[in-house]
Amino acid sequence: MKAIAKRWWLGAAVAAFAALPWTLGVYHQHILIVSLFYVMMAASWNLLAGYTGQVSFGHAAFAGIGAYASGILAVKAGVNPWIGVAAGTLLAAVFGFLLGILCLKLGGIYLSLTTLGFSEILHIVINNEYEITRGTMGLQVPGLIAEYSKLAYFYIFLAAALVTLAVVHRLIHANIGLNFRAVQNDERAAAALGVDVVRVRVLAFTVSSALAGMAGALYGHYLLLITPQIPSLDQQFLVLSMTVIGGLGSFAGPIIGAFGLEILSEYIRAYGEYHVLAFGLVALIVARFAPRGVVGIWNGWRARRDLARAAGAAP
Amino acid sequence: MRSKAIAVGLVLALFGLAAVAGPALAAGPVKIGVVGPRTGDAAATGKAFEEGIQLATAWVNAKGGVLGQPLEVVFEDTAGAPDKAASGFERLVTRDKVAMVLGESHSSSALAEIEVANRLKVPFVVVEAWADPITAKNYRYVFRAGPSNSGVVNETIAQWVVAEGFKKAYIVAENTDWGLGIAQLTEAALKQAGIPFEQLVTERKSQDHYTELTKIKQYDPDVVLAYVYGTGLHYFVAQAGEVGLTPKAVILDGAGPPSLWPDYWTNVGDYGDLECFVSSMHEKVELTPLAAEFRENYVKAFGKAPTDYKSRSIYDAVLIAADAINRAGTLDAEKLVDALETTDLLTTRGRAKFGTEKGGPEYHQWMPPMLVIQWQDKVQTVLYPPEGATGKLKR
Repeated sequence: MKAIAKRWWLGAAVAAFAALPWTLGVYHQHILIVSLFYVMMAASWNLLAGYTGQVSFGHAAFAGIGAYASGILAVKAGVNPWIGVAAGTLLAAVFGFLLGILCLKLGGIYLSLTTLGFSEILHIVINNEYEITRGTMGLQVPGLIAEYSKLAYFYIFLAAALVTLAVVHRLIHANIGLNFRAVQNDERAAAALGVDVVRVRVLAFTVSSALAGMAGALYGHYLLLITPQIPSLDQQFLVLSMTVIGGLGSFAGPIIGAFGLEILSEYIRAYGEYHVLAFGLVALIVARFAPRGVVGIWNGWRARRDLARAAGAAP
Repeated sequence: MRSKAIAVGLVLALFGLAAVAGPALAAGPVKIGVVGPRTGDAAATGKAFEEGIQLATAWVNAKGGVLGQPLEVVFEDTAGAPDKAASGFERLVTRDKVAMVLGESHSSSALAEIEVANRLKVPFVVVEAWADPITAKNYRYVFRAGPSNSGVVNETIAQWVVAEGFKKAYIVAENTDWGLGIAQLTEAALKQAGIPFEQLVTERKSQDHYTELTKIKQYDPDVVLAYVYGTGLHYFVAQAGEVGLTPKAVILDGAGPPSLWPDYWTNVGDYGDLECFVSSMHEKVELTPLAAEFRENYVKAFGKAPTDYKSRSIYDAVLIAADAINRAGTLDAEKLVDALETTDLLTTRGRAKFGTEKGGPEYHQWMPPMLVIQWQDKVQTVLYPPEGATGKLKR
């Protein structure tokens, strides 16, 4: 009964959210669309970092692979942007798979270092191969729909975000999700119990990369412009901050973090790039004092309240 | 619990958005937007823009404002990045409800912004982004009250190179729309003039030009046309002096302002002397009475003489916008475009009039006169055009 009530809650919230853009102007519709992009980015990074404990700094790079693959196909080969998005997602998955095989046996800090290096290499290639990518000049790409409409983009991003969340939810609640947790908690114990640690990590890394690739490809076609900012470390640290502040390792955390920080960034945009620095500092403080983020604080408050109620009800 | 947390998150998002929405628009000042780099390696341009905006707004409001209301300028920082430029432009229109947008000094950013201007149907007067396609795309809502690459090359740089009798040239272009575009036009002009040349493309943010300079030195040119914007130009000039390329060869800064920024002499030291640059402003020469008034007001407001000509470019653009709004008698975009097309206004850089013939970069373009100036013992000497020259090239 309680589960049904929860589903009603969730359904009502999603329906209200889906109706929201009709009451807003284009500026606020834009904020919602960008927030949904970050929901996809943060939720897919959380699948890797929050559920298998593998901290990758290449997540924005995979979004860049998706964006540039789709954009270049559309501009240079005239490929339909929707097919480009599919191709970008696939290419990001392939890169994720190959990079995963290459470095996930090492685990720990080596994955972080390798993905950091990968991200920088990709950035340099994009900047220097300007005849193909247009480097810092930005690659202008066609939109996903013939007639530009914020409302249409909102529903495209909402659908993509729901698909991302559904994939993440399905994975963490399936048997493989238990393997993810087992690898995160103690990989030696997991291996001793028959879990193929490398396979689990590669799977998480590939799925996470593919979802980032899809988000990046959609985002590029929404902005109608792809620049090296998409696969930048700034973007990576923003996604990291959103996940950590929202709640690393929780399903709802990246959603709360993505909306919270994107809306907050609109307030403090006047400070330019310093807002990324401010988010980084907040993420550090949260990681130190509330490692489960906003969701963890909420859970802790509820647990204390329930305990107090139980104590009060005791004879 | 999890679904409740998501629901709470979504509700918080709704409240957050409602808070960002702010109060409804009330009758008040007429707003126009300005886009430009206030951060990044061309932040000095943003500073020059702010100075020009302050003076122009005061000037317009002292004369009754626009449509009987005070004029207000909202500045959006683009950091010189096309993605930030496009989203910043959209924010000015959708959040700040500006009637018109002015500014920009990076061609790649402007090329991203004109697409937004065209989609949102908002008049956009580009000020200091020179790439030809900005106006060559012939968008109804896009104007340029400033130099274009083809105008600067064909009317100033190429003619100066011929007039000085240079024998061999080297073109160095940054990998941006402005750099690559102006290099291509220079190449065509030098070919036509029969002047041998070589060229290379450099990374816009590069701080190390030694390898490139060694290559240039081997070619032994007598003029180097440097299309590098921002502090990158300072590195180039200083390192050219270190490797001994200058003073044997003369460097022309094809953009201008970096040679006028306050940190120019600090960054380049004595290697900066004898460097040439293009500019629409000279420290002693004024083209119109309004230019003299601008200088006087600038000194009064900031306690120093104006150096970066982009402060005057944006000043002119604000005056052009105010004039168009007043003549249109409305903030309707279509009527503002019509008013801009019939602009005939005396500015600090001459009489502003936009081309209306479609088909090329001259459409919606007003090209102010440009000068070639050389630093001679840290004093500006006009070399070109001959009728405005205050001295001869020193080598």
